[in-house]
Amino acid sequence: MTMEATKTHSIDISALQRQNQSLRLEDETIALTVRDLQLYYGEKRALHGVTMDIPKNRVTAFIGPSGCGKSTLLRCFNRMNDLVDSCRIEGQMALYGQNIYERGVDVADLRRRVGMVFQKPNPFPKSIYENVAYGLRIQGINKKRTIDETVEWALKSAALWDEVKDRLHESALGMSGGQQQRLVIARTIAVKPEVLLLDEPASALDPISTLKIEELINELKRDFTIVIVTHNMQQAARVSDYTAFMYMGDLIEFGVTDHLFTNPEKKQTEDYITGRYG
Amino acid sequence: MNISVKEWFKSGSPWVWMNAGAVAISLIMVVGLLGLIAVRGLSHFWPADVVQGVYTLDGQPRTLAGEIVESNEVLTKQLIEAGMKLPEENEFSTRHLLKIGNRDVYGSDFAWALEHYFTEQHRPEMLLVAERREWGNLYGYLRSIKESGTEVARYDGNDKSAQYLALWDNLQQRIQRALEIHEDILEIEKHEIGTINYELERLRLKERGLQLKEVKEQSLYDAITQRRKELDADYEGLQQRLIDLYSEINRDSMTVEVAGGKIVDVQLAKLVRIFRPNDMNVGQKIVHYFAKLWEFVSDDPREANTEGGIFPAIFGTVMMVLLMSLLVTPFGVIAAVYLREYAKQGFVTRLIRIAVNNLAGVPSIVYGVFGLGFFVYFLGGNIDDLFFAAAKPSPTFGTPGLLWASLTLALLTVPVVIVATEEGLSRIPRAVREGSLALGATKFETLMKVVLPMASPAMMTGVILAIARAAGEVAPLMLVGVVKLAPSLPLDGNYPFIHLDQKFMHLGFHIYDVGFQSPNVEAARPLVYATALLLVLVIALLNMSAIAIRNHLREKYKALEM
Repeated sequence: MTMEATKTHSIDISALQRQNQSLRLEDETIALTVRDLQLYYGEKRALHGVTMDIPKNRVTAFIGPSGCGKSTLLRCFNRMNDLVDSCRIEGQMALYGQNIYERGVDVADLRRRVGMVFQKPNPFPKSIYENVAYGLRIQGINKKRTIDETVEWALKSAALWDEVKDRLHESALGMSGGQQQRLVIARTIAVKPEVLLLDEPASALDPISTLKIEELINELKRDFTIVIVTHNMQQAARVSDYTAFMYMGDLIEFGVTDHLFTNPEKKQTEDYITGRYG
Repeated sequence: MNISVKEWFKSGSPWVWMNAGAVAISLIMVVGLLGLIAVRGLSHFWPADVVQGVYTLDGQPRTLAGEIVESNEVLTKQLIEAGMKLPEENEFSTRHLLKIGNRDVYGSDFAWALEHYFTEQHRPEMLLVAERREWGNLYGYLRSIKESGTEVARYDGNDKSAQYLALWDNLQQRIQRALEIHEDILEIEKHEIGTINYELERLRLKERGLQLKEVKEQSLYDAITQRRKELDADYEGLQQRLIDLYSEINRDSMTVEVAGGKIVDVQLAKLVRIFRPNDMNVGQKIVHYFAKLWEFVSDDPREANTEGGIFPAIFGTVMMVLLMSLLVTPFGVIAAVYLREYAKQGFVTRLIRIAVNNLAGVPSIVYGVFGLGFFVYFLGGNIDDLFFAAAKPSPTFGTPGLLWASLTLALLTVPVVIVATEEGLSRIPRAVREGSLALGATKFETLMKVVLPMASPAMMTGVILAIARAAGEVAPLMLVGVVKLAPSLPLDGNYPFIHLDQKFMHLGFHIYDVGFQSPNVEAARPLVYATALLLVLVIALLNMSAIAIRNHLREKYKALEM
């Protein structure tokens, strides 16, 4: 029945045929652990006790209907929710065993270790070069050679180098949306984070730019642990190794992507991926 | 093509007409205002022809010569009632205001003349106009040149003979010589002696300071006495040179026959320039015009501000505005950053915002009173007690001055900068801030490296508005530092170069002073227009440079389309 459902809803099975089909969460090194995480916006509870492990050097996708809390959960990993005045968090969240909500955690350092790319490209009104160098300069790195090398590496990693190498010192605002988003990715990986959070990184882009970003994600997972939030189920199926399905602030199901899409354990997951709601 | 009134209203045309009409009226008013002050102000410098004629009032003919500065029509009946004998068939009679000059001879340099009685009008070529440093213009005919009291050249005719031209050239050369000596005298009096006086005053303060601190070391006092002796010697030398220069400059004089036949003896040392307007062609007049205009913007004022230039006022205005901008920008920006970025938004911040906005509505004279009470007397007085005790009882900062005027205006304009900066900060997209924070930047780093640069065009908008308001402000300045005539500029070659404690001149106050406080109203009136025009130009120039900076910043930190 599930096989039928995937066929009728045209989930690209071929995209799921990747080299490591025999993934098992038990075999993975865990980068991020979440234990009974509750998040409140004022009186309203947005996350109802989420518990999950995010494996290292894998792509984990969060899917679910709008307002299910997947972006909120993502923003917990680098404490972006701290910026919201009324936000309150209970439970535990750890990066390689260290609780990131502990008192005395250097938030700036945490955010350097857990980088984030947002829904809409948000380059700074500076040159392409300065955008990528920004994080390095923040860390106090001022040696021109080090910065030059890192900028080049980051732009190459983000598959942008060939397009911009002749106009590094022109404003980043003159680039196309897709280029801007890859620049933001380059900027984020330039500080060599351990985890890369992607919050619907391709939702504002055209199909070709989206394809490029997806290819890029596949490349980047060798060096980074990637967590991606997406509305697009095909995208989740194409790029991720593990998928978490969330609904109304609850984590409904979390598992290997192939498994979750072809053989969901929960009724709600099945309903969602077969398009019965959401 | 018949449309009813109702349809016409529905079409929106009346609305468009109304809008366009409002814009047109505003435009006409602005152009009219600028046009009026420009025409009235700029025409003052034109070397107008001098009219000579016979004015016969009550049967007593007398010769009048002067420039017609104004003509108007008066009801004949009114004049007859005032006791004048005029033919009744004309309803209106023409009346001229003549600038006859020669205040030292006639007592006043303007006279009204009725066209009806003013006969034999002509424009004699030989009539000369002499601009003097005192007593205003002189109108008359050149008669002779004297050197040390003895006549060296003379010509009595009123024709353009070779003899006359030789006399004229001779005179021009002597005036040139006198002007050069005058320059030297000014240089010595204003700069060299000024510098010596300045240092002597500093020495006196130093000595007094030592005495107050009860320093006993005699060597320190000796050094001061020694230096003072040197300066006194320098001063003596300069004094001697001045005496020589004065006897040099006073060597020559000329005699001029004024209208009415009186012979006047004028020292060439007192002359600025002499010319014969009726004998000048348009080219010469244009050259003369621009020379006068240049004098107006680059020279010091003469004769209770009714003649000469207004350079010190331009300088004072610009300097005060720049100083004000330097003070208000950091202050306003820092306050706005705290209010918008750090303070917890709530009742208190709302209250503060309301207070700040209301502060912008306080009448400016109130700020002047506050500036006088707080800055001048309290702050200035305490600064004097602490740092300038040696100069007491004469105050240094405890008296109105440039710094206090700038601070008062900074206070007056700080709400504008706060509001504009807050507006700019609130418009920075959240995404950009988050982008910076997500890279491991702290809030402070994000502010300094991303948010403030992006908000800088908004800050400049605030500064532009502040400049526009501050440069036109006069009322508070009268209380905190502006004077009618400042002996020296607040920026000069004497250490510490910028004298923040000095009083200064200001274009706005200059207009008030020339217009209302002048002893010679008729002579001052065109200057009111000219000064007003210049004030507008100075403000426009200051604003335009600020706008240029803003546009540059805007281009650089073009906001994201989000």
